[in-house]
Parts: sequence; C-alpha cells; structure tokens
Amino acid sequence: MDWYPLFNSLRIALISSVIVFFTGICAAYYIARLHPVLKGFLDVVLTLPLVLPPTVVGYFLLVLLGPRRPFGAWFLETFDARLVMTWYSGVFAASVVAFPLMYRTARGAFESFDETLSDAGQTLGLGNAYIFWRIRMPACRQGIMAGAVLAFARALGEYGATSMIAGYTPGKTATISTTVYQLWRTDNDTLAFRWVLVNVAVSAVVLLAVNLLERRERSRSGHGRRPS
Amino acid sequence: MKRKMMAAMMMASALCASMLAGCGSKEAETPVEAPAETEEPVGERDGSEDTAGTEAPSETETAPEEAVTLNIFAAASMTETLEKIQTLYAEAAPEVTLVFNFDSSGTLKTQIQEGADCDVFISAAQKQMNQLDITADPEVNEEGLDFVLEGSRVNLLENKVVLAVPEGNPAGIESFEDLGTDRLKLLALGNEDVPVGQYSTEILTSLGFLEGLETDGKITYASNVKEVTTQVSEASADAGIIYATDAFSAGLTAVDEAGTDLCRQVIYPAAVLNTSKAPETAQAFLDYLKTDECMEIFGEVGFSKAL
Repeated sequence: MDWYPLFNSLRIALISSVIVFFTGICAAYYIARLHPVLKGFLDVVLTLPLVLPPTVVGYFLLVLLGPRRPFGAWFLETFDARLVMTWYSGVFAASVVAFPLMYRTARGAFESFDETLSDAGQTLGLGNAYIFWRIRMPACRQGIMAGAVLAFARALGEYGATSMIAGYTPGKTATISTTVYQLWRTDNDTLAFRWVLVNVAVSAVVLLAVNLLERRERSRSGHGRRPS
Repeated sequence: MKRKMMAAMMMASALCASMLAGCGSKEAETPVEAPAETEEPVGERDGSEDTAGTEAPSETETAPEEAVTLNIFAAASMTETLEKIQTLYAEAAPEVTLVFNFDSSGTLKTQIQEGADCDVFISAAQKQMNQLDITADPEVNEEGLDFVLEGSRVNLLENKVVLAVPEGNPAGIESFEDLGTDRLKLLALGNEDVPVGQYSTEILTSLGFLEGLETDGKITYASNVKEVTTQVSEASADAGIIYATDAFSAGLTAVDEAGTDLCRQVIYPAAVLNTSKAPETAQAFLDYLKTDECMEIFGEVGFSKAL
C-alpha cells in the first residue's frame, strides 16, 4: 500500500489549519468591532463556504486560479507555477472550506469574552498586543481550540473542491478522500476499504487527542474558568 | 438588494423563456400525431399500436399512415446530432414521432433490461450491445439477455480517440509520441471505469509511456470524459485524451488521432429491439440513419461511418 495519500492529506490539513487558525482569529477579532451593517455583510460572505456545496467553492477557485483566468494566468507568467492540479491546490481548497469553522467559533469565543478584563489591562498600562495574547487568547482558549480542531477535521475530509482544482494524480495530488473515490470507481473495493479504515483511524485519533488535551487542561487549571 | 432582485428576475425570466422555447419545439414535432388522432376512434388506439408495425406498410397506398411513436435510446454523445436528424425525419416520415432517451450506454442498457419501452438502441460501445444480444459471447452477455432483434444489429458510427490540447497549445504537444517528452507536465485521462480511459490506457501502453508517466505523477485521472475535456479547456492539464466529438463540441484542437495501431476502434452499434411494437418502422428509422444525409450530420461533429 502506497502511503502517499495519507501523507498528502495530513500535509494539506496541517498547512491549511495553520493558515485558517491565524486568518480566522484575525477576521473574528477585527470584524467583531465593525459597524453592525458591515459586520453582517462580511459575516455572510465569510461563512458562505460553510453552507455552499464544495463543488461551488471548487468552481469559484477554478475561476480564480485556473491558468486561463486572469489571476491564475498572471501567477503562471510571473512565477512559472500553476495554481491548479498541484498538491498545494488542495491547501487552497481545504483552507477556504475550513475557514468559516475557525472564524465562527473564534468569534463566538471573543464575543463571550469579558471586556472588563481587557479594560483592566489597559488601566494597568499594558499594550494591545500583550492584552490580546496574554489575556484575551488564554480566556478564549477553549473556543479557539475547538475551532482549530473542527477546521483541521474539515480540511482532512475535504473532497469536492479538492477534486475539482487538484484533481487526482497518484503520488502528487491524491488525498485519502480522492483516493477512496477513484478506487471505488475503478472497482478496487478492497483497497478503497483499507483507505476508509485509515481515514476513520486518523480522524478518531485526532478527536481522541483533543479530548485528552481538554481533560488535562481542565484538571490542571480548572479553577476560575467559566464553562463555555 | 435591488440589483440582486433584478438578477433573480432576469434569471427567472430566462428560465421561463427557455421553457417556452422547449414547449415550442415540442409542438412543432407533435402535429404529426394530431391528424391521426382525429381520424381514429380513441378506443382503438391501444390495439392499433400493437399492429402498427405489421399493418402500416399495406396501408401506405391507401390512407394516410398511422401515427407511430418510436422510443430511441441513444448514447449521450449523440444528443446534438440525433436532435438535428429528428427535424429531418419529421419531413421524411411525418407519421413517425421520435422520442429520445439520452444517457450513458450502461444506464440505457440497464433500463432496457428492466423493461423500458425502447424500439431502437444505439450504444457508444459494443459491450453494452453485446450484453443485450443473445448471439454475443456468453462471457459478455453474462445474464443471457435476448433483446436484440435478429438481423437488425449494425455498426452505425465510428468515433475517434484524439489527443486534445488547450487553446494555443502552451506545452507544444503535437502528437501521441510527444507525451513521452519533458514538455508534458500533466496529462488528463479518464480512469479505468470510463471507456475513453480504457482506450487511453491502450494507447499509452502501446507506446510504452504508461508506466513512466505514472511514476512521474504526470497523469491526472477524471471520472468521466467531460471532466477530462474541462481540464484541457481550462489548461489545467497540458493535454488530454478524449473523443473527437467531445473535442469538437468543446472547441478544442485535436492534434493527433489514434489509429488502429494504437487502440481498438470506437464503434457505436445500433439495433432494433425485439420488444419493439413497431419493428418495421424502427428498422426504417435505423436504415435512415445510415443514409448519406444523416452521415453528413454525424460527420459535422466528428463521427465517421463505421466500416
């Protein structure tokens, strides 16, 4: 059994989780303070990938990144690199699809954050960056962790948009999900089933790890934390 | 908000317009049936359909012919051409109404097997026809199905397997042999489940390229021929192997055509089914498809006459 799809899936999921982790938190932090109308609008736009079918997301990405489309053509000409049908195309797809999960959970966490804590920090003369990283983030840790895990899980399971913009090239763009589909289509049920088991195992391990972390977290610093 | 409403309304009206257009074209076809309905008592219609096949020829000299409806099951790749032929046939045989069912040949085969009303079946590959033909190799016709009317089966059309490239041919791929060069970065193929994927594998195996391309990770597998076509037209891949007819309808350049030295011929067989209620009318239509007039229409999109 060639393990490339597992490696590629994990690589794509990890990279896109990192991207989504920071962009999602940023977006959540800044959008929460915007004018309600603008906030409502951006909220809809940024959450859309969550409710759109992945094929629609894939279509949009293809229109944006395809070598025949303005941006994709410019990129190809400038950097001599295609943005579609490569392994990192999967990162684009997974990031877009996983972003709303991170963004929404982080925003929820920020919204339930007690702003008087931040005000108290300010009266003590702390900088904004310090307040953000040392007061706000630790207080919102649970929500943010949950968002990151959801985003990672979603990125790991992404199929629709990935198959459209990364395709299925064995040893290059193949992920677990696209491999399962192709193996099933080509009557290779035994191997498809093995990959299904691998996928279930990986997902179970991820969720288990999260549960363990959470439990340790709670037992170590359980005092004073509000149940979220 | 207003703009969105406008867009929605425009889309709705476009939808209505297309539906109306659809109705219009149907109405244009139906008049052939209308006169017959007035001439014969309603109660007898069911019985007359059964005998239509045998009685119709004798009646040709005397009265206007009886209306016959033929159900044609045809491979999806024939949609445009058969719809053109439908208009022509309305003039050639006004008493016959053609009703089409276009789908993938495998689906059509299953529908026929399940007892769908079908008079003529045109398959995109011999396999599905063989599966319905009792005279075919029992290894292919595993279920021993007997649907093909004896003596009616013909090889109607030939499609070509071609090498298509994106507009402007950015990678400079000029022939199947070029697939072995470094100019090729990514080749789009159908997977083994797709007929065109099987032909592609044959071609690359005969050229000895398949293994090399696979180890280099230069092949991307799609699950149907239209997906391959899109990957080529979007220039996501440097080249793709598809049918001549698909290349034509997508406006792609076919730089090379697979000869018989590279892969099997792609033959579209056709036959009247023995479950047809009007086998002679069906046979007449099948014969009509073989005329030069029809072959010209087929030729326009890249089909050729099967020899």
